[in-house]
Amino acid sequence: MSLLVARDLSVSASIGGETLPVLQSLCFSLAPGKILGLVGESGAGKSMLGLTIAQMLPPGFACSSGSLSFGGEDLIAMPAVKRRALLGRDIAFIPQEPLSALNPVLTIGQQIGEHLARLGLATAAERKARALALFDSVHLPQGEQLLDRYPHQISGGMCQRVLIAMAFAGKPRLVIADEPTTALDVTIQARIVRLIVDMQKRNHTAVVFITHDLRLATHICDDILVLYAGRPVEYGPARRLFSAPAHPYTRCLQLASPSMRGERRALLALPERMPGLRAWKDLRGCAFAPRCPVAIAGCSQAPPALAETAPGHRAACIRSAETGGIVAPPPTAVAPAGEHQPVLQAQRLCKTFAIGGLFRRMRFSALRDVSFELRRNEFLGIVGESGSGKTTLARLLVGLETPSQGRIRFATEVSDTRRQRRSEIQLVFQDPQSALNPRRRVGTIVTQSLEAEGTATPAARAERARELLREIGLAPEMAARFPAQLSGGQKQRVNIARALCASPKILVADEIVSGLDVSVQAQLLDLLIALRRQRPFSMIFISHDLSVVRYLCDRVLVMYRGEIVESGATGEVFAAPKHPYTRALLAAMPPDDPSAAWAPALFESDAGSAP
Amino acid sequence: MTRIPQWMMSARVLAGLSVAALICLAALFAPLLAPHDPNEQTLTSILLPPAWLPGGQADFPLGTDSLGRCVLSRLLYGARIAMTVALLSSFGAMVLGAVLAHVAGYFGGAVDWLIGRVVDIWMSFPPVILALIFMVGLGPGLRNVILSIILVDWTRFCRVLRSEVLIVTRRDYVTAARLLGFSHWRIIAREIAPATTPLLITLASLEMGIAVIVEAILSFVGLSVTADTPAWGQMIADARLSIYQSSWNLVFPVLAIFVTVFAFNILGDGLRRTLDVRLAEAQRA
Repeated sequence: MSLLVARDLSVSASIGGETLPVLQSLCFSLAPGKILGLVGESGAGKSMLGLTIAQMLPPGFACSSGSLSFGGEDLIAMPAVKRRALLGRDIAFIPQEPLSALNPVLTIGQQIGEHLARLGLATAAERKARALALFDSVHLPQGEQLLDRYPHQISGGMCQRVLIAMAFAGKPRLVIADEPTTALDVTIQARIVRLIVDMQKRNHTAVVFITHDLRLATHICDDILVLYAGRPVEYGPARRLFSAPAHPYTRCLQLASPSMRGERRALLALPERMPGLRAWKDLRGCAFAPRCPVAIAGCSQAPPALAETAPGHRAACIRSAETGGIVAPPPTAVAPAGEHQPVLQAQRLCKTFAIGGLFRRMRFSALRDVSFELRRNEFLGIVGESGSGKTTLARLLVGLETPSQGRIRFATEVSDTRRQRRSEIQLVFQDPQSALNPRRRVGTIVTQSLEAEGTATPAARAERARELLREIGLAPEMAARFPAQLSGGQKQRVNIARALCASPKILVADEIVSGLDVSVQAQLLDLLIALRRQRPFSMIFISHDLSVVRYLCDRVLVMYRGEIVESGATGEVFAAPKHPYTRALLAAMPPDDPSAAWAPALFESDAGSAP
Repeated sequence: MTRIPQWMMSARVLAGLSVAALICLAALFAPLLAPHDPNEQTLTSILLPPAWLPGGQADFPLGTDSLGRCVLSRLLYGARIAMTVALLSSFGAMVLGAVLAHVAGYFGGAVDWLIGRVVDIWMSFPPVILALIFMVGLGPGLRNVILSIILVDWTRFCRVLRSEVLIVTRRDYVTAARLLGFSHWRIIAREIAPATTPLLITLASLEMGIAVIVEAILSFVGLSVTADTPAWGQMIADARLSIYQSSWNLVFPVLAIFVTVFAFNILGDGLRRTLDVRLAEAQRA
């Protein structure tokens, strides 16, 4: 007996007089005690399901056909009063942004108390006892004190655990978790996922787990539904779907993310990107056909139906049989690794910040005694979680901050003026949205360093802009566009081009692929490798994603609380980590092999201390 | 890019802009439009009601004041003072406030602290009293009216803009420009100022309304332009004495001030709605 059943569920939006399909013919069934993974890139329509269940769709969006039944009752046709009674009690949500889901002006105790009162706990004493029991179940220590805290006083991971406790408080039959870990650090992410799975097992709850990470979904879900452009493209048992994908898109997603074990293989970077919502209406055939490596003429004729390829495994593809034949391109010859000549040396760098006001001034040590060298034409990865000092280090290197102690030496002697550092070292920013001036055209953004020199003629600038755009794989016409007219991946390319314009010897890239979808990430990583072949340069690549660092970098530094705890050749460090923190980071990554056991550490009761 | 900019499509902006433009034109062509010299006294026909009321004369469409001066002519000439003050003083206050706000927000630290405290002290004075003090110190005259309004009202711009500059300065593209070696002034002018201009324009149009009122208050108490230059505040002051004989004399200048200020306010509101990046982005998202 299934708990949640969707039959041909479609959601459409009317925007500017047009009716656009947002979700098309979604079919699935979820049994009690099972986990369904909803996987897709951003903008694929993953979050629409949760919003449909809660009837919190944005204005203009409505369920246009099909049914969604919960325990035999139709959620769509249900009167609002009845649905409200279900939500929070029988159906609970775990949100994406734990900090914005909690009210900042109420204490944790007030918020959880309010929720428990709604669940029928009449007296304050009862509610408190229950809250403490719940905190215990999510391994939150010192529950008594936590009740009096405000959300901003505790970490994001703790907030998410409070929300998980609240979600499971009423012993719900269904929990919708919408990317519950994206805003958190890698090691915390793994623990949160483990916690959700544990709670689910203990309470025999059904969970809809929405994520963009196919590998993660494979490890924790029973079934997976892959969405592309609002359409279900593949649906089946998780392990089977991962080991024998029947839709080319699923296969391409797998091949686009770098692996953590075995030989370093090239990535399959899909061309283009998923069409935007407005284009979905005009798609005649399979939405994936324009990017599909095995597409034939028939693919763009009519939309393929979701057909069974094996018992319980369905895919919407007429070329299912060919999917297994999609392989990653042959490994490209890696550019010769760094020569031994150092281009940059950091010597015992320390950075201390003074925080607090006039009274109670505190000193906070962001970097402690950091020494390393970067060699010519070497890609050096820096990994660590937020607060480990990665970004502070980047800002010191490019000269945005001055070190409290220690010094940075470049191969060629440069004075401290930025003008002279410009051709030596450049920074590529994390958030392309914020890094590009929305009022400038792409052409002037990428040639800003010529503008700073002040010698180039407009014609020379335009020529250089065309050249740079070609190098980073954008059409020359893009020069006339504004950043708002570009996609996230294109913006990040422009961001890289601007840093390259002054032909610096060193690029510092701070989490430049972290906000992007897997297929766009693969394109950018390949771009960096291609650039390295064309023009030798060294790069410091900061990331929290170990697999990306493993794919791209020759050497790696592991940072923890402002110190370098381990360093060495990427392959060696990841194959045989020596420091416990490196081991914890590696253990937090879901393994490539779907049948391998993955048991990230649980939260210790004294969470917050060293792992 | 031949598309009509979005702010031109707003009904508020169009209404506010056209009324303000009409008043400007009336002020500009006052010598042609006015039926009489504004200071010409016709002592035989004082306190006439408007032409459409019994006892009114077609020669004086809006009647005459206690000295027999044509109210319409004085209103038209008074618009010259009002508009000059509105445009110049709001522009001046905008420039002064914006420069200090950008310096404070961009450089931060001690400069920011100093400018912030000056603004605090400045804003602790009631604005009209402060303007009066300046007028007493500077002496009457159009130039000094403008100057004193600038000196009083730059703080409005400075305080609001500074927080906007702070937000923009934290954007990565400003950091990127610093890394590329641009000078501070260039970064402020090319990267930050374009982002704060919409707010600046909005504030300036609201300030114009405020300037009209302050000028009227100053001329009401006789501390603005000299008595031989007609100004709306003066007309109200004159009409106050004969308020029981002829209330019309009071109604017209008050109406003129009301319409002008209202026009500037809806213009400002319309601009805020269409130019405010955050509002516009929220709607598009």
